Amino acid sequence: MTNHQPDRRRFLAGLGAAGAAALLSGCVTSTSSGKSSSKGAVTLQSNLSAPQAKAAMQDLVAAYAKKGSERASLNTVAAETFRTQLPTYLTSANPPDVYTWYPGSVADAYAKKNLLLDLDQAWTSSPDLKRYSKALNSLCTSTSSGKKVFVPTTYYWWGMFYRKSNFAKWGVSEPKSWDEFLDLCDKLKSKGVTPIGLGAGGGTAWVASAWFDYLDIRINGAQYHRELLAGKHRFDDPEVRKVFDRWQEVLPYFDPNGAAVAFQDASTSLLNGRSGMMLIGTFFADAAPKNALDDIDFFRFPIIDSKIPLAEEAPVDGYFASARTGRYDQVIDLMKYLATAEAQEIYIKGSSGTVLPCNPDAKDAGTALVKKGRAHVDSAVEITQFFNRDSSDALQPTADNALTKFLAKPKSIGSILTDWQRDAEKIWNA
Amino acid sequence: MAVLTAPERKSPARPPAKGKRVRGPRRTPPLVLAFVLVPLLVEAVWVFWPAAQGFYLALTKWDGVSPPQFVGLGNFREMAHDDVFRSAAGHTVLWLVLFGGLSAFLGLAAALLLQQERRGVGFYRAALFLPVVFSLVATALVWQAIYQPDGVLNQLLQSVGLGSLRHAWLADQDTALYAVIVPALWRQIGYVMVLYLAGLKGIDPALYEAAKVDGASAWQRLRHVTLPQLRSVNAVVLSVIVIDSLRSFDVVWSLTRGGPYHSSELLSTYMYSTAFQSLRLGYGSALAVVIFVLAFGVICSYLVRAFREAD
Amino acid sequence: MSANSTALRRKRAATAGFHLGAGALAILWLLPIALVLVTSLRSFDDIAANGLGSWPHSFTLGNFRQAWVDGGQQRALINSLVVTIPCVLVTLALAAMAAFALSRYELRFRRALLLLMLGGNLLPPQILLIPVSKLSEVIGIFDTLPALIGVQIGFGVGFYVFVLHGFMRSIPAEIQQAAVVDGAGPWQIFWRIILPLTRPALAALSALSFTWIFNDLLWAITVLRSDTKMPITAALIGLQGQYVSMWNVIAAGSVIAAAPTVAVFLRFQRHFVAGLNLGAVK
Repeated sequence: MTNHQPDRRRFLAGLGAAGAAALLSGCVTSTSSGKSSSKGAVTLQSNLSAPQAKAAMQDLVAAYAKKGSERASLNTVAAETFRTQLPTYLTSANPPDVYTWYPGSVADAYAKKNLLLDLDQAWTSSPDLKRYSKALNSLCTSTSSGKKVFVPTTYYWWGMFYRKSNFAKWGVSEPKSWDEFLDLCDKLKSKGVTPIGLGAGGGTAWVASAWFDYLDIRINGAQYHRELLAGKHRFDDPEVRKVFDRWQEVLPYFDPNGAAVAFQDASTSLLNGRSGMMLIGTFFADAAPKNALDDIDFFRFPIIDSKIPLAEEAPVDGYFASARTGRYDQVIDLMKYLATAEAQEIYIKGSSGTVLPCNPDAKDAGTALVKKGRAHVDSAVEITQFFNRDSSDALQPTADNALTKFLAKPKSIGSILTDWQRDAEKIWNA
Repeated sequence: MAVLTAPERKSPARPPAKGKRVRGPRRTPPLVLAFVLVPLLVEAVWVFWPAAQGFYLALTKWDGVSPPQFVGLGNFREMAHDDVFRSAAGHTVLWLVLFGGLSAFLGLAAALLLQQERRGVGFYRAALFLPVVFSLVATALVWQAIYQPDGVLNQLLQSVGLGSLRHAWLADQDTALYAVIVPALWRQIGYVMVLYLAGLKGIDPALYEAAKVDGASAWQRLRHVTLPQLRSVNAVVLSVIVIDSLRSFDVVWSLTRGGPYHSSELLSTYMYSTAFQSLRLGYGSALAVVIFVLAFGVICSYLVRAFREAD
Repeated sequence: MSANSTALRRKRAATAGFHLGAGALAILWLLPIALVLVTSLRSFDDIAANGLGSWPHSFTLGNFRQAWVDGGQQRALINSLVVTIPCVLVTLALAAMAAFALSRYELRFRRALLLLMLGGNLLPPQILLIPVSKLSEVIGIFDTLPALIGVQIGFGVGFYVFVLHGFMRSIPAEIQQAAVVDGAGPWQIFWRIILPLTRPALAALSALSFTWIFNDLLWAITVLRSDTKMPITAALIGLQGQYVSMWNVIAAGSVIAAAPTVAVFLRFQRHFVAGLNLGAVK
């Protein structure tokens, strides 16, 4: 108890001393080598807290329990809490075993730090995983160890969503090219409709990144985009500048409140016909009233440069496991089950049904929208995930800052990009 | 979190300090020692020890996952060149002046208005104090609903013919900081009012009577009796406000997260986003140390003066 | 006679003016709370069609059921109470003990100790988050309610010591001296004399600390991981995540979450001013 020292200042000074520092470092930062208990059910930490998705996960866990001798216990945490706590979960002494999360760079970042369980055993012994596509195989492989660290289960897609009945009412149709897209915006505006809804306010600033991603993969291509996000190019390069020049062409058609409302509120505007269309992922339909679901349709983000290989944003969801689990066999067993067609169908049936299964044998929800979505993704030469998934969760706030600033002050794009590069460097070097 | 403090020794009848030497300075009963040490131990385990680790982290570069690297004062050097830090510090000062000044002024005004025991006064006091007990989560939800682009405030403006003033209050860099101060004040004023009410209660009524006999007007009584008598409460309120301002986090974070693009960023929100969103825990800890030093400096300078006066 | 009636009329006008001014202020202050109450009773279709600011066109209690049952607020409320009540009792007991020793005895370094204990409260809590979660792991109570109780007590105690110290200092020394002459030990002095005199302050502080601990979110998500152990504030955040833009359900959840603190506040209301005032009256 050094705290008895009467002099607070001396106490603080003492802390700076190297000796104290070495002593202290032992506790807080140690990723203790303990393993989680090997008894009891596999713990499954889930961020799927929306009512339908949560219910679907409960169905899935119940079906797993019925299936074999193993059990999983589901623990659902609010998505925002989950995101901030994930590093803490993974580094804790007694971590949860299995987590919902994303493959690609995000998972790879944790794998590089030896926090993720090697799932090769599941991939080689599961008849389902053996038949997964090559793209998924490489997506789930850690670049540092060459091991599989992820089991993908479902994916969804981003697109320009609209209501069929509204487009019919306004007498407009899906555009193919950038010019047709601008025409469509003009027509909608002349009819008094806000052409493009956004929803990058109220805590969902990340939605704006979809526009950046899409413009970049349309103008510079998916390869460049991934390299940019990995720090191999600079945000103040002329290539990136071209993205924003394009964006400025459509900026007048954006909802002026787009950066002030959350995407859920923007979805409501879209469904009510106050806005014409919106670049969003299929998850927005979770909050849509059932009767509106059949009326929802989408079109591909317009092609800008036909020489660039067609890329689409189609994020994959699934599971990884903590390297420090004490229930290795149970985790592998659960992972193999999650990869089966049966498990994925149970989840799709229980949730809003707008996601596609990763298992080639699993049936999707079968609606026209989902069929179109599958064809949409299949026709792409390259797939990107999303800004944070292709980079890291830590880089996302730098994009949010830069993009909201651009939406408010498009003229100062030069300084915005310089700042973005500087902020991103801090993350890459962290 | 707000801080509550009792008005310090303002009674003219305070006993002389020597009266406290009940047992003499040399021998302290073991029980009394235990009375101090047990709470101190609890606080040491849950606060001082973690804080010491936090201070150590301020000298490192750490992503929360791999082992931290010791960088000495590197984080503090980085602050000197960090524009966001500088603007966050500026906003914190503005916050201190606006939020602090207004809550002290309006809290005092409310206390003066509601100091007399009369019919209905309990209800009015309760109304002003109620937001203090409202949870932050609920507070944030209410004010989000109020500030929405088609929320209550804009609809209200529209209905009274001021539709041109409609605004995305939280999403505009020019209004975000001020829009966030309002709910913070809403929560703080009732609290400051209660502190002042307690202070006003303690003023000897004979002083007012004497002033009245001398023909002092209401304003003169306020100026020459009330305010001087409130001096020690003022000092408490001041330090409470400074601490609360420096630590203001919850309302700002839940309404704007410091955005749009840092325009409502305070030191406390910047610290949180640096540490937990950008996962730069070392730099975030260094920012926390800065906040702590500022808060501790203010409260210490006040307390040291108070102690000196007491001796 | 006429002078008397003029005075009376002036007094009446002053009273009316007071109630007008104070009433307007109270209404302004209560308006946001009223908005929550009204919203919690409206249907989603009503809000979607007419907006939050419009006059209600519907009435339903279903939102409360949705928040209470589907939103898991029932269990969360129990968790909150299980954490809050022992926290308040233990924190105040510890704080009263320390304040008693520091204010009534000439301990060495008592001012430094007081400053040190208060200093713990001046830390931005965010700096402690990660160390505290690691610490609770090391002790082996991570993800249990005792961990939350522990950190709440540790983080609260310094401030209450500071406040109670101020109160106890103002209790006249003669009372204590008389007891010492009668042969009372420190425990008797504490239990029989000082504590009863501090009661109003303890009442005010217990009400305040109840609201602070009950309304905490940051510590809860730091030391807890399981949804079944989360307190009401975390459940409310979860509700916000689940029912975004379903303002009616969120408002109902907020009302449920606020009910206990409002009840405690109304029950202890009169102690706030009286309790804070002890030092001045004596």
